[in-house]
Amino acid sequence: MKMLTIVAGVMLIFVFVWERVDVVRLGYHVERLKTQKVLLERERDQLQVKFSALTSPERIAKVATERFGLVPPLQGQVLMVHEREEVPGPPLLPVEQVRLAKHVSPGRASE
Amino acid sequence: MTAGPSRGRRYVLLLLLLCGFSIILFRLVTLQVLQAAELTARADRQHQKTVSFEGARGVVSDRHGKVLAMNVEVPSVFGVPASLESPSTAARTLSPVLNIRSAELERKLRQDKNFVWLARKVEPEQGRRLEQLSLDGIGVVMEGRRFYPKGPLLAHVIGFSGMDGQGLEGLERRYDSHLHGEKRVTVLQRDALGRTVFPKGLAEQAATPGHALTLTVDEVVQYIAEKELEEAVAHSRAKSGTIIVMEPRSGAVLALAVSPRFDPNVVAALTPDRWRNRALTDTYEPGSTMKIVVAAAALEENVMTPDSMVFGENGRMVIANTTIHDHEKQGWMTFSEVIQKSSNIGAAKAGMALGEQRLYRYLQAFGFGQRTEIDLPGEVNGLLKAPKDWGRRSLASISMGQEVGVTPLQMVSAMATLANGGVMMKPYIVSEIRDEKGRLLKEVLPQVRRRVVSPDTARLMTTMLEGVVTNGTGAKGAISGFRVAGKTGTAQKIDPRTGAYSSTQFIGSFVGYVPAESPRLAMIVILDEPQGEAWGGAVAAPVFQRVGEQVLNYLGVSREDTVKIALAMKDS
Repeated sequence: MKMLTIVAGVMLIFVFVWERVDVVRLGYHVERLKTQKVLLERERDQLQVKFSALTSPERIAKVATERFGLVPPLQGQVLMVHEREEVPGPPLLPVEQVRLAKHVSPGRASE
Repeated sequence: MTAGPSRGRRYVLLLLLLCGFSIILFRLVTLQVLQAAELTARADRQHQKTVSFEGARGVVSDRHGKVLAMNVEVPSVFGVPASLESPSTAARTLSPVLNIRSAELERKLRQDKNFVWLARKVEPEQGRRLEQLSLDGIGVVMEGRRFYPKGPLLAHVIGFSGMDGQGLEGLERRYDSHLHGEKRVTVLQRDALGRTVFPKGLAEQAATPGHALTLTVDEVVQYIAEKELEEAVAHSRAKSGTIIVMEPRSGAVLALAVSPRFDPNVVAALTPDRWRNRALTDTYEPGSTMKIVVAAAALEENVMTPDSMVFGENGRMVIANTTIHDHEKQGWMTFSEVIQKSSNIGAAKAGMALGEQRLYRYLQAFGFGQRTEIDLPGEVNGLLKAPKDWGRRSLASISMGQEVGVTPLQMVSAMATLANGGVMMKPYIVSEIRDEKGRLLKEVLPQVRRRVVSPDTARLMTTMLEGVVTNGTGAKGAISGFRVAGKTGTAQKIDPRTGAYSSTQFIGSFVGYVPAESPRLAMIVILDEPQGEAWGGAVAAPVFQRVGEQVLNYLGVSREDTVKIALAMKDS
C-alpha cells in the first residue's frame, strides 16, 4: 500500500512536469507558427502588389500592342452576342437575318 | 563602579540611534511616499522607451475587387544613441546599406535622444542586410508603406497618404477615419547599462489594419477614359482636361479622369496644382451645355415645345446695349433646331420667356450653385447668383452659359438627370466599407435627390439632344450602332489681364448619354484651352465617341444594329 502510494505520487509528479513541459513546448510552437503566419501574410501582400501592378490595364495594353502587335477594334468591329435571358432587347429576328449574323461570325454560329 | 556615567552613555547612544533611524525613516517616507510618483516616472523614462506604430491602412479596390491602393510592411531603421559605443563606426557601417551619407547618419546618432529614426520605409533587402549586420543600438521595425500598384490610374480620386500613414488627399483623406489602422504602442526596455533590450518578435507584431473601401469605379473604364483624355490633351495642346463617366440610374461614378496625371507613389516633388481634383474643385463657365437646363425648363413649364418657332434674328440680337451673336446666321427655326444648332439667341429668348425666377429655380433644381455632396474632399459650390444680383443682360447670358460657374461634376450630374427620366441621383464613389475581417460595415445604395423634370420632358429632351448628334453641332460624338444624346459647349474664358472674355482662350466640352433610349453611361469631356480649333464639337465630342464606344463594348452593351442570336441549341 505504501509502495503504491509512492508510485502514484511519483506518477502524479511526472504527469504534472510532463504537462508543464508540453505546455511550454506547444507555446514555442504556437509562437513559431504566429511568426510564420505574419511573414507569409507579408509575402502575400507583396505578391498582391506585384500582381496588381502586372495586371494594370495600362501595362496589359502596352504588352498587347508592343509585344503582340494587337490593336483596339475599330468602330463597328465588335459584335455582341447575348443569350436570350441575359439582356432584355428587341424580339428575335427572322431566321434569314440570323443566317446573316452567322455569316458575320461563323465560329459562334457553329455552336 | 558607578551606574551614572554608564547610563548616561547608553542614553546618548540610544539618542544617536534614534536620530539615525529617524533620518532614515524620514528619507524613506520622502522617497517611497512623497516623491514616489515622480521617481517612478523618472525610472520608467530611464528604463523604457515607448514607440508607436500604425496598423496597415485599409485596401482600396475598384468595383471588381482590383486593388488600387494597399499597404505592404517594409523595414524602418532606428537608432538608440545611448546604446552606441561609437556613433561614427556605426554610421560608416550603415551608410552603404541605407545609401545615406555617413556624416548625416552620425549627426543623427550623436543627438541627445533616446530614439532616432535613421531611415523609414526602406526596401526589404536593405532591412535583411541590416539584420545580418546585427549592430548594437540599431534596430529594425516593420512599418506599413502605402503602394499604389496602378501608378497614376485614378490618382486624383484616391489621393495619397503621408509618411506616418495619415490621409492627405482624395479618398485617403476623406475616409481617413476608416482607412487608418489601429495605433500600436510598443515599450522598449533598457538594461542596467542603458542598452535597449528589443522585445522578441517586435518585427512580427502587427496592429489591426484599417477598413477596406470598394469603389464604384471600374479600373478598365477608368483606364479608357485616362488614355483617351491624355491623347486628346496632347493632340489639342490643351492645358488640362477632365472626363467623368457616371451611371445615370444610380449616380455611381464609373470613371473620373483628370489630365495632367500624377503618380501618387512619388508626390514629394509635386505641387498641389498637380494633384487637385479639377472635376470638383474647379469651376468654369459652361457655355452652350447650359442650354440643356434652359431647354428642359422651357419644355417643363410649357413655354416652348420642340416645334415652337423661334426667330434667330439673323445672328445678331441687342440686349441691354450689348449684342449677342450666333456663330451662324439663323432665321426662323424650331426650338429643337435651337438646341441642335446651339443658337445663343434662341436660348436667350427661351430664358427670357421663362423669366428670372423660374430659370433660377430650375438652375438650382439641376444642382447648380450647390455641392453634389459626392464623397470626395474639396468640392466647391460653383457660382450662381440670386436673381436680385442679376444685371439687365444676366437672363440672356445665363441662358447661354455665361455669368455662371459650374464644376464638371455638376454638369454631368445635370445631364444624368435627363438620362434618368428627370430624377436626379446623388453621385457617389465608395460603394462598400468592410472591416479587417471582411465584415460589411457600410453599404452605399443609390440615393434619389429629387425629381427635377417630368418623364415626358426628359423624353422630349432626349429626342432633341439626339438631334444635336445626328444633325447638329455634336456630330462627331456619334457612336456607330448606338443612339447618342448630347450637347456641345464652347465657352470663352475670362482673360485675367483684361477682365473681358478672351478671343483666344476657350473651354471645349461635350456632355451626353448613351444609349439614348436606355442610358448606361452619362459622360462629360472637357478640354481647357485647346489650341487651334477649340469648338466643343470638334475637340471634345470625338473623345466622347472614342471613350463611349470602348466602354460600351467593354460593358457588353448591345448595339442597335446587332442581330441578337439566341443560343437555342445550347438550351435544347
